[in-house]
Amino acid sequence: MGFLEKQTDPTSPMHWRGDMQADYFYPSGIAGDKFFKHLMKNDTFLACKCSKCSKVYCPPRLYCEDCFEEIPDSNWKEVPPVGTIRLFTVARLNAHGKNLVTPKVVAFIDIGSTNSAILGIINTNDFNKDFTNAKVKAILRSKDKREGTLKDIVYWEEV
Amino acid sequence: MVKKKEYKEWPPYAPGTHVHESDISEKKITFTWWEPEVQYSWSLGPAMSKFLMGLKEGKIYGIHCKRCKRIIVPPRMFCEYCFGPTEEWVELPDTGIIETFSISYLDPDARRIEEPILVGVVDLDGTPPHHGFMTYFGEMTKDEIKIGMRVKAVWKPENEREGSITDIKYFKPLKGGED
Repeated sequence: MGFLEKQTDPTSPMHWRGDMQADYFYPSGIAGDKFFKHLMKNDTFLACKCSKCSKVYCPPRLYCEDCFEEIPDSNWKEVPPVGTIRLFTVARLNAHGKNLVTPKVVAFIDIGSTNSAILGIINTNDFNKDFTNAKVKAILRSKDKREGTLKDIVYWEEV
Repeated sequence: MVKKKEYKEWPPYAPGTHVHESDISEKKITFTWWEPEVQYSWSLGPAMSKFLMGLKEGKIYGIHCKRCKRIIVPPRMFCEYCFGPTEEWVELPDTGIIETFSISYLDPDARRIEEPILVGVVDLDGTPPHHGFMTYFGEMTKDEIKIGMRVKAVWKPENEREGSITDIKYFKPLKGGED
């Protein structure tokens, strides 16, 4: 009995299955809200420049994270949605660890004329190519379907 | 607690303001909402399996450690005092005493409730002192519940039991003369 007992019934070692509810809610914040609301109506990004250290943020911030200087609204400007790939990876698994039918190229894109970068998906069929330093432009959803999240950028395309 | 500020007009935004429920429902602000799939499967092992399958049949199983001469409930395959293997299954009565309890004004999803729920640890008869498992207490008010009170299990009907600790609905007070 007990410890020396042999398991003979394969159905008896039970598993307790459960589902944890962990909803995730992330408001864009004051600066992020302006950025996304601008993106919903226009085909450009907003960026802002720190008057002290001249660093340009895209998406914009209320404060410069380097010198803690407050960035006034007058320093905000529109920038075209183009950039350069700084680094990239080819994802062959999805977020749940399952194999993807077609791999995805995920890249960190330096937004041209700013000092910031955005994560994005590259639209391509060539998964052996080196994308480093490739020039890309953002392909946005049609204006009526935009919902004010980063998903409004459908993918990035090489130019 | 941050003092909640009410604004007559919403927006304009001010730094450090709260997000109101209407901002989300009416989509006045932009946000990301994601419901991740977080499923888990906890392998119970032989001892816990037997315990939970026993609850399905309306029985509480404990296990005996011969070296420490004590009954462990919920059962384990080894004794955590002497690290020896546990030997013998024993069927325990569904009566005991309240070891400790808490009056909770929050439900399992952390929502505020008017009528408190009583949770605590029950120390079953036949087990060593200060040794038990967590359960609900019922058929008593928050003023009546006391540490050391004699209680008896109220089981779910047999067809509703699923091999879970909640197969015992709650423990009710045991009046004098009952067993």
